[in-house]
Amino acid sequence: MIQIFVAFFLWDKIFENPGRIVFGYDRSKILTYVFAIIIVRALVLSARAADVAGDVAQGELSNYLIKPMNYFKYWFTRDMSSKILNISFAFFEFIILYLILRPPLFFQQNILIILAFLVSIVIAIMIYFYMLFIVSSVPFWAPELGWGSHFLVTIILIEFLSGALFPIDILPAGIGQVVMSLPFPYLIYFPVQVYLGNITGALLVKGLLISSIWLVILGISMKYVWSKGLKVYEGVGR
Amino acid sequence: MDKAIIVDHLVKNFEVNVKEPGLTGAIRSLIKPLKKAVHALRGVSFSIQTGELVGFIGPNGAGKTTTLKTLSGLLFPTSGFVEVLEHDPWERKPEFLKQISLVMGQKNQLWWDLPAIETFELNKAIYEIPTREYEENLNELTTLLEIKKHINTPVRKLSLGQRMRMELIASLLHKPKVLFLDEPTIGLDVVAQQKVRDFIYEYNKKYQATIILTSHNMDDLINLARRVIVIDEGKILFDGALEELVSRYAKEKIIKATLSSEDNIKDLDKIGKIKKLAFPEVVISVPRSATAVAAAELLQNFAVDDLTIEEVPIEDVIRKVFRGELRK
Repeated sequence: MIQIFVAFFLWDKIFENPGRIVFGYDRSKILTYVFAIIIVRALVLSARAADVAGDVAQGELSNYLIKPMNYFKYWFTRDMSSKILNISFAFFEFIILYLILRPPLFFQQNILIILAFLVSIVIAIMIYFYMLFIVSSVPFWAPELGWGSHFLVTIILIEFLSGALFPIDILPAGIGQVVMSLPFPYLIYFPVQVYLGNITGALLVKGLLISSIWLVILGISMKYVWSKGLKVYEGVGR
Repeated sequence: MDKAIIVDHLVKNFEVNVKEPGLTGAIRSLIKPLKKAVHALRGVSFSIQTGELVGFIGPNGAGKTTTLKTLSGLLFPTSGFVEVLEHDPWERKPEFLKQISLVMGQKNQLWWDLPAIETFELNKAIYEIPTREYEENLNELTTLLEIKKHINTPVRKLSLGQRMRMELIASLLHKPKVLFLDEPTIGLDVVAQQKVRDFIYEYNKKYQATIILTSHNMDDLINLARRVIVIDEGKILFDGALEELVSRYAKEKIIKATLSSEDNIKDLDKIGKIKKLAFPEVVISVPRSATAVAAAELLQNFAVDDLTIEEVPIEDVIRKVFRGELRK
């Protein structure tokens, strides 16, 4: 909520003069971007799987390993329920903020674009899930680094590089291109831009391709890291 | 009879980061981490028949829990062979996991804020227990453990003893064929201990379940385990009947005598080590080989009304095991 206010007022201030265009964005575009983030954030970045690190460090993982259940599916289900909860909160947040701030809104009507948006959201959710699990396996080797590594990845990298604070295309072209080849912008920036109709055609296909490749890479890495991690798992805390 | 558990030359090493105290130690361990290998198990071999109830004893850090965790598939063996119910535990196949259970006295699986019944329902789903079977099992377990009226109470409000019994129920709803119990009576009062103990005995009898039990509670071992495996520093020191453990490791025997007069009473210590002297009762411990001689001497030189020769109590031997005195 506060993050949204900060982002909103920051951009609102910059675009005080209605005719002003900064980084190719005018006032209504940037405010729509900020508002779209509310929903996409709730869909993608609300996940419980960050707690996996605690399970590993404290040995709680044993309770799950001993049962005939799939630990990944267990957390994926928890993530999903967390998303449903968060999306309903985000909905209220959205309405309240809308009533207070009255930003210009943009509703996508092209079915194909909405479909592409949904695909990009699914990819984003999976990428984030895999990322969390990979980061959460750090405590297999260094139990005390669980929180630190989460801070580094979820706060620093994801907040800055996912587009949750600012659209990636305001970065200088060179840096922007590097960032776009990383998995992070496909969490927030890419789905939002697809929804807003700013990424279409060849760029859309390219983006979906890059994010799918990352999805596969991260999925394989996660399986690998976990199978290695479980072998050194000590089930501490008795 | 077939073997439920086979363990052959099992070795498990852990790597531990060694850190010196204080800030300089912290920085040093960050720059150059010092790894130390801990040999938790150094070539352990044993096998257990279906339906056996075996006690695992040894001092703290001997490797008991490590063995149980390896048998239940939580730990990856460094080397050696492990087979439980014809499965490799490490694969953690659902068919295997549905037949075993690991109960750790200090680790709980119950949801803290919810009544125990919620955890039971969840386990019903996880283990895919048919509804009728589930209800029968639940009813039976809650009756046996005398805890029926508490299943709807939030776990946080249960006493330790009640909680432990709920843990047992949660672990047994799927009727495991192999049960690993790690300190099941730890922290319980005498009455609760007895209930849990009776229950384990019943469960073993009724379902021909194979049970491995570790405990620091002597009553658990004396009442439940006919066969014990003594483990220390990652090695098996003894594997056999509980009575045999006593006759092998008790180097002394106990002579109890009732005296009719206090004559020469000061010379009693020439016979053996006096453990208790409260006239007319006297308890002397003598070396096993010298028992007959000592008894004869006692009868000759003192006014003895009554005399018995006994084995050292099991408790004393087990106490030695816990102190790690068997390794010498």
